[in-house]
Amino acid sequence: MLERELKRGSAELLILALIEERERHGYDIGKQIEERSDGTISFHITSLYPTLYRLESKGMIEGRWVEKAGQRRRRYYRLTPGGRGTLVRQRSIWQNFAKAINRVAGIKHA
Amino acid sequence: MRDRVRAAFVNVDVDPDVIEELAQHAESTYDALRADGISEAGAIARIDQLIEGWRKDPSSLRRAARRAAVVVPPSTSRSFMSGAAADAIYGLRLLRSKPGYAAITILTIALGVGAATTLFSVAYGVLLRPLPWANAEGLIRVSETRGGKEGRIAGTMLNSTYLAWADSPQTIASIGAYRETPMTVTGLGDAARVNVSAVTPSMLQMIEVRPDRGRIFTNEEGERGKGRVAILSRGFWEQRFGGQDNAIGQAIVLDGTSYTIVGVMPRAFRFPSAEAQLWVPWYVQPIDGPGGVKSGTIMRVLARLKPGVSEAQATAEGTARAVAAPDAGFLSMALFGAKDPIQVHVVDAKEAAAADVRPAILALLAAAGLLFLTAIANVANMQLARATARHRELTIRAALGAGTARLARQLLIENAIAGVLGSMAGLALTIALHAVLPSVLPAGFPRVDAITIDARVLAFTLVLSFITSVVCGVLPLMHVRRLELAQSLAHAGAGSAGAGRSRVSAVRALIVASQVAVTCVLVIGGVILARSFTAQISADRGYDPRNLLTGTIPFPLSYSVERREQAVMRVLQRLQDRPGLTNVAVGTGLPFVSSGGFAAFSFASPLRGGEKVDVETIRRVVSPGYLEALGIRLRAGRALTSADTEAAPLVTVVNRAFVAKYLDNIPIERAVGLALGNDAVRIPGGRQVTTIVGVVDDIKQDRPDEPPQPEMYISYWQQRGVNFGSQAIVVARTAGDPRQYVETLRTALREEDPAIPLDAVMTMDQRVGNSLSRPRMYAVLFLGFAVFAVVIAGAGLFGVLSQSVSQRARELAVRTALGASRASVISVALKQMGIAMIAGVAIGLAASAVLSNNLSPFIYGVSTRDILSFAIAPIVLLIAGAIACIVPARRVAQTDPVQVLREI
Repeated sequence: MLERELKRGSAELLILALIEERERHGYDIGKQIEERSDGTISFHITSLYPTLYRLESKGMIEGRWVEKAGQRRRRYYRLTPGGRGTLVRQRSIWQNFAKAINRVAGIKHA
Repeated sequence: MRDRVRAAFVNVDVDPDVIEELAQHAESTYDALRADGISEAGAIARIDQLIEGWRKDPSSLRRAARRAAVVVPPSTSRSFMSGAAADAIYGLRLLRSKPGYAAITILTIALGVGAATTLFSVAYGVLLRPLPWANAEGLIRVSETRGGKEGRIAGTMLNSTYLAWADSPQTIASIGAYRETPMTVTGLGDAARVNVSAVTPSMLQMIEVRPDRGRIFTNEEGERGKGRVAILSRGFWEQRFGGQDNAIGQAIVLDGTSYTIVGVMPRAFRFPSAEAQLWVPWYVQPIDGPGGVKSGTIMRVLARLKPGVSEAQATAEGTARAVAAPDAGFLSMALFGAKDPIQVHVVDAKEAAAADVRPAILALLAAAGLLFLTAIANVANMQLARATARHRELTIRAALGAGTARLARQLLIENAIAGVLGSMAGLALTIALHAVLPSVLPAGFPRVDAITIDARVLAFTLVLSFITSVVCGVLPLMHVRRLELAQSLAHAGAGSAGAGRSRVSAVRALIVASQVAVTCVLVIGGVILARSFTAQISADRGYDPRNLLTGTIPFPLSYSVERREQAVMRVLQRLQDRPGLTNVAVGTGLPFVSSGGFAAFSFASPLRGGEKVDVETIRRVVSPGYLEALGIRLRAGRALTSADTEAAPLVTVVNRAFVAKYLDNIPIERAVGLALGNDAVRIPGGRQVTTIVGVVDDIKQDRPDEPPQPEMYISYWQQRGVNFGSQAIVVARTAGDPRQYVETLRTALREEDPAIPLDAVMTMDQRVGNSLSRPRMYAVLFLGFAVFAVVIAGAGLFGVLSQSVSQRARELAVRTALGASRASVISVALKQMGIAMIAGVAIGLAASAVLSNNLSPFIYGVSTRDILSFAIAPIVLLIAGAIACIVPARRVAQTDPVQVLREI
């Protein structure tokens, strides 16, 4: 239970953070997570799309089909203002959480 | 690759757009794998794994919200009615989806509405409904005071005044008198006591009653010796005459005298009370009887004002007539305790009928109103809480295009449904209460049959229902005004609306404070009334009501004085031998039954050198052993004994009040042996000095708070020929439960004469209990309201705290994580409610200090500022508050900060 919730929370944070820089399509997001997390966060690629759709239905991100020259038509995702606010808050909560955990348990911030 | 994905999702409910997106992802992955040098078979195997993973939970691949059921599309119709119908259906569906919440809401409203409606129906029926007679408007109750004092029975007038005014009056169209007089009916099976009302013929004419059968009395039948006719109540006619028409013209024997039946009243005719079974004409005798004997009667009198005449004009005429009437002499002193000035009083008959219960009914109505407000506040509070929790739903609906007005209508209709359902349940409760009301209300409660559920009561319920719906609907609207989509959605889990929260919680704290205040008032009122009731039960009445059996022996009028005396003597002798009866006596008086007679005389006071002292006193003629049987405490001298006979000197026992008033309040020991002159006791054949042989404590005739009255006890055996009147009161002190000896008493009487019934058999404890049935009902009702209010306020507090804790879970968790102690975190959560409670208690105490004065007409032995009652209420509320706080506080204390933070 705890593990699952933690994963979901962190996955959402990661996705929001990734598309904050620029809009990305699903394959790109999956690839970026794998690369950036360097294997420490095990993110199953099958849960990527459910997570995207959930974020989309919550209104935090929005997707649209884009055709670029010489490329296939792809669905790109970008952050909504609501998603941006959530990201800011989630970041600070995670920071607080990490600090709190650190205080309570003496774990060093990675 | 794309076809592989598409093939995998055939017949699976997934959007083609999603399949397209997944297919592209699969293709890109395949390309990447091949580029990394993975074999085609290996790459395809990896892709198949991926597809299998997606296929596991196709529902997670839907873009639309999965929990769509919470939000139904708003009504698209432009028509208000169809939109309202849709809202109503939606509201019902919402109620059904939370049955526990719906049940609590409806039950709370039902109890509040039920209590208020029932009290309203009682107040309306008893205080406001017109009297049930034709042309009841314009009927007045007339009574008189002498020297500012009312007659021995309140609200009555003397026969001299009545007759003077009845003789061609100017301001009133008619005047009539009545009295209730139990009589023994014989010749129709067993001898039985029936409730007979003696009425002047003018009385029945004045209230314009039309008999079902036969006729009412003629004026002639109200004359001396011509009134040997009777009218039956419908119930009595059916019961004793089988509803036969030939009852008219038959004879009925009452107290040994034959009356001819001339009519049957309609079933609905209840005059002067619902207990009336028979009516006979009343000949009102003049105050100056034959042979110079004054004959006074105090009587209940109604009159009808002439059109255009004011009550003040009638009062003036009545007073003038009373002053001009023949002098009542010593009777004025005996019956009123004063002679002058005479003043006639006029009151609307309807008001007079319920005058003694009016303050209590109004106080209870106010209490029920407060209870209703508490209940409504609770429901409003719950609705507010739910609206907060539903903020997200409302936001989405606003985002989907529902305007503020649209959402306001939605909320109002939803709450109207709860209000209407609750009010309907409340009405059902009222109807159920009405079914038991006649048996619950104390005997003698006025106008019980006027308490019904009619259009006015229904309208009242409707108004309550409307108030409920509006109050409950308006508060949640505070949320509609601040629907910020993004913010709300971002806070989905927290279920709160940032800035709006503090204002909403302030409103909720205000509701809790007012609930606590109202509850405080009700608890204090309830405790004061309960303490007043217990004080009246345990009050010292001057006699011992335990193990005391009492009853009356109604002698047939045909019995001569001698025969009565002999019968009493033989019955007493028989009873004295029966085991278990420690003391048996008869007398003319008994608390709650009869004061026992009055006497007015003069004597030359030995304490004042022979100066004449006028005495007006209660005088009870009793058999020896009466004082002992009743447990009246002898304080000086001796009691009456069987040695005090005709042959012995006349003696009397007086009470302390007699000594205080007529013997200059000398020490009671000195009163023993004093002579009261030749007129204190009248005996046939000569005058004799009466000497005081003993002094007893005062006893309370009816109420423990009545002032003591001078009393004399005379031995029956020295009063031969004076007799008991038509009935003797028998008292028996028993060794065990007095109810076991009822049959013993009956047998002794039956042995004397089967035609004499034992009437009004009751233990003295029952008489005391009956006399307290009103205080008991007031206390029980008020306390019941108070308990209910405590539960409601406790539930309200619990709800507010629970929600406040869950809303502030994040804040509290962070505080805990940052090192705050559990206690300090709990105190943060409870602080606002604590302040609200303390404020509520303070307001409640202050309000009670003012309001409790309204209880003073019907409390005894306890102050309206009773310290204990004022102390109990805050304690009860704090305990209830603490119980309400335990669960939310424990939740805070046991919260795992990690978990709370993770859930955000």
